Amino acid sequence: MSNDVKNFPKDAFDRITVDGKHAEKISKPSLNFWQDAWLRIRKNKGAIVSMFILIFLVVMAFVGPYMVPHDPENVRVSHANLPPKVPGLEKLGIFDGEGKLGSKTVNLYELKKVEEYYWFGTDSLGRDLFSRLWKGTQVSLYIAFVAAIIDMIIGVIYGGISGYYGGRVDDIMQRVVEVLIGIPTLVIVILMIMIMEPGIWSIIIAITITGWIGMSRIVRGQVLKFKNQEFVLAAKTLGASDSRIIGKHLLPNIMAIVIINIMFTIPTAIFFEAFLSFIGLGLQAPHASLGTLINDGYKFIQYQPHILFFPAFILSLLMIAFNLIGDGLRDALDPKMKD
Amino acid sequence: MKSRKLMVLMSFLLVLSVFLAACGGKKDDAAPADKGEDKGTTGEANEAQVLNLIETAEIPSVDSSIAEDAVGFNVLNNIMEGLYRLDQDSLPVPAMAEGEPEISEDGLTYTFKIRDAQWSNGTPVTAHDFVFAWQRAVNPDTASPYGPYLMAGMVKNAAEIGEGKAELADLGIKAEDDKTLVVELVRPVPYFLSLMSFGTFYPLNEEFVTEQGDKYASNSDTMIYNGPFQLTEWDGTGNSWKYVKNENYWDADTVKLDEINVNVVKEGSTGVNLYEKGQIDRVILSAEYAMQYADNPEIVNEIETALFYFKMNQERNGKATPLANENVRKAIARAFNKEELADAILANGSIAANFLVPKDFTFDPSGKDFRDYSDEFALYNVEEAQEYWAKALEELGTDKVTIEILGGDTENAKKQQEWFKSELERNLEGLTINLKEVPFNVRLELDNSSDYDIQSAGWGADFQDPISFIELFITGSPQNGMGYSNPEYDKLVEETKTTLANDPEARFEAFAKAEKILLEDDQAIVPTYQRGRMVLMKPYVKGIVTHPFGADYSYKWMYIEGKE
Amino acid sequence: MAKYIIKRVAYMFISLFLIASFTFVLMKLLPGSPLASAEKLSVEQREVIYEKYGLNDPIPVQYVRYMGNLAKGDFGVSFQFKKADVTTLIVSKLKYSMILGAQALVFGTIVGIVLGMIAALKQNTIWDYGSTVIAILGVSIPSFVFAVMLQYVFAVHWEFFDVGLWNSWKSSVLPSIALAMGPIAIAARFIRTEMIEVLSSDYIMLAKAKGASWLEIAFKHAFRNALIPLITVLGPVAAGLLTGSLVVEQIFAIPGIGEQFVKSINSNDFAVIMGTTMFFSVFLIVIILIVDILYGIIDPRIRLSGGGK
Repeated sequence: MSNDVKNFPKDAFDRITVDGKHAEKISKPSLNFWQDAWLRIRKNKGAIVSMFILIFLVVMAFVGPYMVPHDPENVRVSHANLPPKVPGLEKLGIFDGEGKLGSKTVNLYELKKVEEYYWFGTDSLGRDLFSRLWKGTQVSLYIAFVAAIIDMIIGVIYGGISGYYGGRVDDIMQRVVEVLIGIPTLVIVILMIMIMEPGIWSIIIAITITGWIGMSRIVRGQVLKFKNQEFVLAAKTLGASDSRIIGKHLLPNIMAIVIINIMFTIPTAIFFEAFLSFIGLGLQAPHASLGTLINDGYKFIQYQPHILFFPAFILSLLMIAFNLIGDGLRDALDPKMKD
Repeated sequence: MKSRKLMVLMSFLLVLSVFLAACGGKKDDAAPADKGEDKGTTGEANEAQVLNLIETAEIPSVDSSIAEDAVGFNVLNNIMEGLYRLDQDSLPVPAMAEGEPEISEDGLTYTFKIRDAQWSNGTPVTAHDFVFAWQRAVNPDTASPYGPYLMAGMVKNAAEIGEGKAELADLGIKAEDDKTLVVELVRPVPYFLSLMSFGTFYPLNEEFVTEQGDKYASNSDTMIYNGPFQLTEWDGTGNSWKYVKNENYWDADTVKLDEINVNVVKEGSTGVNLYEKGQIDRVILSAEYAMQYADNPEIVNEIETALFYFKMNQERNGKATPLANENVRKAIARAFNKEELADAILANGSIAANFLVPKDFTFDPSGKDFRDYSDEFALYNVEEAQEYWAKALEELGTDKVTIEILGGDTENAKKQQEWFKSELERNLEGLTINLKEVPFNVRLELDNSSDYDIQSAGWGADFQDPISFIELFITGSPQNGMGYSNPEYDKLVEETKTTLANDPEARFEAFAKAEKILLEDDQAIVPTYQRGRMVLMKPYVKGIVTHPFGADYSYKWMYIEGKE
Repeated sequence: MAKYIIKRVAYMFISLFLIASFTFVLMKLLPGSPLASAEKLSVEQREVIYEKYGLNDPIPVQYVRYMGNLAKGDFGVSFQFKKADVTTLIVSKLKYSMILGAQALVFGTIVGIVLGMIAALKQNTIWDYGSTVIAILGVSIPSFVFAVMLQYVFAVHWEFFDVGLWNSWKSSVLPSIALAMGPIAIAARFIRTEMIEVLSSDYIMLAKAKGASWLEIAFKHAFRNALIPLITVLGPVAAGLLTGSLVVEQIFAIPGIGEQFVKSINSNDFAVIMGTTMFFSVFLIVIILIVDILYGIIDPRIRLSGGGK
């Protein structure tokens, strides 16, 4: 046996010198934070499906109104209260324009001699619900996004300052927050809406007026956690300025939580908008949002359930999608974070 | 292991479902039992005289001096009674008054005899009760909204008391003895007797009211009644109350209903559902249900005397609005289809209005409707509208005009306004309408400060005379607020109160002339519709009486017949 | 501990004072007149009535007077209900909201806990997914959409329950369920995460190794530990529920406080707006306080002396 070993040609071997530098080398390609998050969220089916649904809804919100030849604000009383009718599907016995009139089921399109197809039917002023629905989705999304971004900006700044500077500043700022938390949100939102000129911006302002508090508390907590950790201490020792510490060290670390939180703020804002519209404090006509559409539809639930169904469905879908994406992101970005 | 887990779960669910079923079932059993009881006590021939109604708002107040809204006055009409009451044809008939009053020749002094009637606690109703009630209503300390509004300028010294120039005792109402009441007016008031059926003029028993103090009428136990029914089970703010027959009422034999249950239901659809399930006997339909129930045999159409119109403000914040131009006003008046508005948008029995004084409201002594004295003005006509519009744009020297429409924020109002916008913009090229929808009292504030272009407003009558509408637009009227002033119009209105006061026909002609000035010559406002109600009412509900002014309903003559 | 509570209560009063002042200012900014019949009255007649209610005084005077009365517990008189003082009004309306809220909370919490436990114990099975779906729907679907659906399906279509009004216990079933969706979802999600974490901890392993039964592990060890933090999560939810959900009340024609509040704002009924706001605030603040204190008692790791968390 030993002879065999000796018989190996010398040049069959290479000498390896283990370099200390490579000792910690990771063979897989290095992933940054976001790539890593993506890898994890990709496994979350719910979140991925939700993402596609969300993208679809956002695209539809912009494209939808142009897919049909009807203007969302065009009042045409002779076409009022038509049920959905879709070419093709009508032969299957669904979406064929049949609706209840009194106790009978009749084809309202034939009754009213309407040639056009209204995919999702029309409302009580004869406006096309398909285009109105997507226009409304657009407005709801707009309100929600803007409100969420404002919440985030105020929340991050307030929470950041409070947490970073600590001491007296923090004490005062937290007392203010404590007072604000005691205010019943709904009450303030309603009062604000009543005082301001009605419109999209008053809704946004009313939603954000107390909405940022949650974000600020979370950001403060995170900043408090990180600011005493070694890497910040190290940076400080090396003479980094406050802005550098905040910008380079703290912000990237709390970003994940901020984003997760936004994903939960958006559906809250959508809900608030719909809620305000439902109690009649929402948008000025003729603008539509999902809330005003649901409010319109509620009155007709017995005979024209479609007027309620579509906006309620889209609203629920949006909320579910945002929540699932939020959940997914939370699991992916910060697996240790809980409710 | 696994099956055990399942068992636990199953048993839990079982317990839960039994619990739910038990709770659900209990009521199911109880419900028919209730009905059976009703049947048992009354028997076949004599049905349970119980009516179930809904209101759309709570009772704010049933203190007759303080009441100021439709629900309050409606309740008052059924639990109290004034000198007069509106009968089944809405004509004033003596009620607490015994027979017709003596009226002095100049029409300024009325002497009433009071009927032998009792309050529900047994004390007699006297002339003093009226004196007390009227003085209380006009007393500034009471802060009554309707007292001064109705009495000032009519009852002697009412206005002076408000200004602090006269004592309460000087008010033009005196009790000569317990049964004789003398009322002095400052001007002849042709509609005075019908006004006596209005809540503010009902009697109040001084002893009882003073004893209760602030608590008077704060709930159904702190009141006494002299009307067909007594109020019960009303806690002052609650969403339900009951009327029960008042056995002490002088005409109790006429009253057939034993009990009326009222609940407040604000959502129209909830009301319809309750009706469908037989929990209530009558419901007013909103437009969404009108189409569905149009052919239903249980539908009843009622026309109200509330008229809606556009107020066109000619001067806003010191600057002339586009509406200062007469042709703009005339164009707008003719540019929308009022029939479509009434039939398709409101769809609740409302009718298109090309007039200001509602129809089926006021009549001359021969019973001729005021509308037969007058005409219809500014009918829908797109071509004419466009002609006026072209002229207007030329005069204004522009091709684009933006006008704001101020309106209410209720479902119904919003829908109308959206329709106005689309209709006007479609028919008048270059016109942009901005909608502003605000709650009622915000609209009033903007109205007071004349801060609007067009306002979608309305008015309901409190007494039966064309003047309640015509007077709104005289110069300086608190309801004018749109910079409109026409001396000729003012003069005509003044004449109806003075020289023509005792000549009903000439008065109506003067009103007709005034209406023409307002709606045709000046086009100061644009009437839109006269409101109607589409009501679902069970066929076994008989004898409901609706009134064109004051209270909406009298339940006195109602009864149930043919209910299974 | 006592010092901490005293401090918190002191802050509570400061908060209430600030909230009252803030609301007072907002309320005075509300456009419109509180008189329902303002339309019919001349300017002079209106002035007479305002004078009587002290609405003609300068705002600071009104403010001082109002705060003085508030300190005495007098909320003033309602404009809508001329004869009702605000406290009576709020109490009479609150009854219904409280019943609904309490039922929703109890029902929601129990169902939520059960769902959460099932999900945790049967992780990654059809049970788990089922309860997760319910939780997601509960969080996502707005309560008023849910209320409308319930009303349509169970009251209009199948006629199992009342469409509306407040006649008996049965009337409260649908609105309570509609309101319970939130707590169900929150409790289910929370219990699931908590229990999964607890179930994988060492002491559960130990308990299993010692041969504790499944029931014992689930309830005695896992559930009890998961329940504690749940209280803190449900606290604010409870405050919201008990003070009424105005839309659900409106849909089911229930004469609760939420519905009254919107009406008061619309009719500029100042005293009721203030009264209701103050009431809501006290409720919310007290619940937050209780939750914080409970948290401190339950979890000694939380340092109470520091003020906030």
